Amino acid sequence: MNTRANFARQALEMEMIRLRHWQHIMNEDLKKKLFTVPIHVAFGSEAIAVAVSNIMTSDDQLALTHRNMAYNLARAGALKPVYEEYKLSGSGVSGGRMGSMNMVNPARGIVYSSSTLGNNFSVACGLALAKRAKREPGVVIVTTGDGAMEEGGFYEALVFAKSQRLKLMIVVENNNHSMSSTIEQRRCDIAIEKMCEAVNVRYKLLATNDVFEYVPVLSALRTHVDEQATPLCVEAKLALMNQHAGPTPGWPADPMNVDIKNGMVVRDSVDDPLHVLKQTIGAAEFDKLAAQVSSQKWN
Amino acid sequence: MATYITAINEMLAKEIADIPHAVFYGENIDTGSRLSGLARNFKVADSSLLINTGNCEYTHCGIGFGMMLNGATAVLFAKQLDFMLLGMDHFVSTYQNIRAHRDIRTLGSFTIVVVAYDQGFQGPQSSFNALGDMCSVARVPGYTLTNNQDSAHIIRTQLRQPGFRFIALSQRHSPKEFLQLELIHVARDSAVFQYTEGSEATIACFNFTTPEGILLHQKLRERGLTSSVFSVNNVFPHDWSSIKRSVSRTGRLVVLDDSKSINLLGYALLHEVAEACPVSKRIIVTREADIDFGVSPDRFQIDCDALVSRLVSEPSKEPTVV
Repeated sequence: MNTRANFARQALEMEMIRLRHWQHIMNEDLKKKLFTVPIHVAFGSEAIAVAVSNIMTSDDQLALTHRNMAYNLARAGALKPVYEEYKLSGSGVSGGRMGSMNMVNPARGIVYSSSTLGNNFSVACGLALAKRAKREPGVVIVTTGDGAMEEGGFYEALVFAKSQRLKLMIVVENNNHSMSSTIEQRRCDIAIEKMCEAVNVRYKLLATNDVFEYVPVLSALRTHVDEQATPLCVEAKLALMNQHAGPTPGWPADPMNVDIKNGMVVRDSVDDPLHVLKQTIGAAEFDKLAAQVSSQKWN
Repeated sequence: MATYITAINEMLAKEIADIPHAVFYGENIDTGSRLSGLARNFKVADSSLLINTGNCEYTHCGIGFGMMLNGATAVLFAKQLDFMLLGMDHFVSTYQNIRAHRDIRTLGSFTIVVVAYDQGFQGPQSSFNALGDMCSVARVPGYTLTNNQDSAHIIRTQLRQPGFRFIALSQRHSPKEFLQLELIHVARDSAVFQYTEGSEATIACFNFTTPEGILLHQKLRERGLTSSVFSVNNVFPHDWSSIKRSVSRTGRLVVLDDSKSINLLGYALLHEVAEACPVSKRIIVTREADIDFGVSPDRFQIDCDALVSRLVSEPSKEPTVV
């Protein structure tokens, strides 16, 4: 491995651990009910969020969902502006005006976050169509979950984006949950690959939670979208490893008992991107980086 | 003489022809009847796009907001106002989201040009015509086109503005001769237009009722009475003091509002006039629901002779609903 590649790899390692640690900090304050807005922690989204953030160029744009913490932290590269936004402070990344579910960071490409399930599909199509009309470079990346993609707007956006040759990358984070309902509890199975096939949109499944695999794969897919002027759909299999949204009235205590005292890794399985990272780089290296990140004052 | 739809189509075609890097889109806008003539003969600048879309109104609305967010000019042409109910979530939530962190002046432009199907035979399912209700829920501007003056002014001044708005046409006026009026005054925000000046009555026309208001004005003139005719074209008039001043002179106000709604903007004017000019005679003509809080009849017709008789009778302090 050459020096540059080694440096990039170490940067990814650090980004992954930092992102997990920041979510732990947020989760602890969430449990203490320090926020007035509902906050959707995204333990388990680290690999896909860090990978998406890394493949974006300065011309690319992100249209997120309500569960946008991992992406906002990854793009901001810092905890404080995101934390301050959750506190609705003027020093927050969106000036304290957007809070949690609509948090944006235009300077880092996050131009829209929808608290309404599925509204970001069509807005993302519009962002991409504007780029085409104004002859501006870059692709638009829109995220969703296995719940939001049930909305009819998902299908409509696929058809529109394909029809208009939009540079749109759809990332479906499939964590098998819409609030507390599993897919099996609420609907039949949806073969996203076949939906994409029906409208001739390329599809890619990511299921390893390995950031070192995700970055080159997503980078190649992004290039395909950009060069071919065509939409594309990525499905990332994730696990839900934390409660829904903190102090939601009537919501039970955190069923997974995520606690910062238990260390960076939440689950010892491939469900957890940090477990995968630890296996990949070795426990000694992982623990050294984790200790380094934990010892810093972030907030 | 051109019809309403032909004349407005020509105004729109002329206005959009030189807008660069814009997107004009909608269902069937480049095929067949071009939305019954609304989008006929559209030619756009080389850098702009004219897109014939599939049937997905909810998505069309979100697309417009996305383009606006990225600084583009987007105009969606839609056949029926009731189709836009599918976009309500975007009008309310998406636009609110955008406005919360972006100064409207820094945004691109998104306009929906839409036809209200109010011609009287569309049936109960597809005759939603209350532009004011839609705009009120979303707190967005919406402008109605009824004649040569308001159409020219609104298309010229509002179509390309940053931010979002509706511009709505009436299907019932479409085949009729385009109403030609002289303009006495228009508010800078295109909310209130005045076409005649008189001393015996004030007529305020809401939604698409300007032609009916002009008809009443003519009937009054036959009886030797002059009247001031106003149209309220935007659901958010910031200043209708000109109407109140007129009523203070004439002592008589007729409000015409054809919106199928129980929440008419005309009631707000009546209330303000009642406070400012308590001795005035006030009449409002609306569509009555033919079941409680239910379906209103499609046709909006006024009995001008009965209205004139009421106006010339003794003044009353209580408003009359016709």
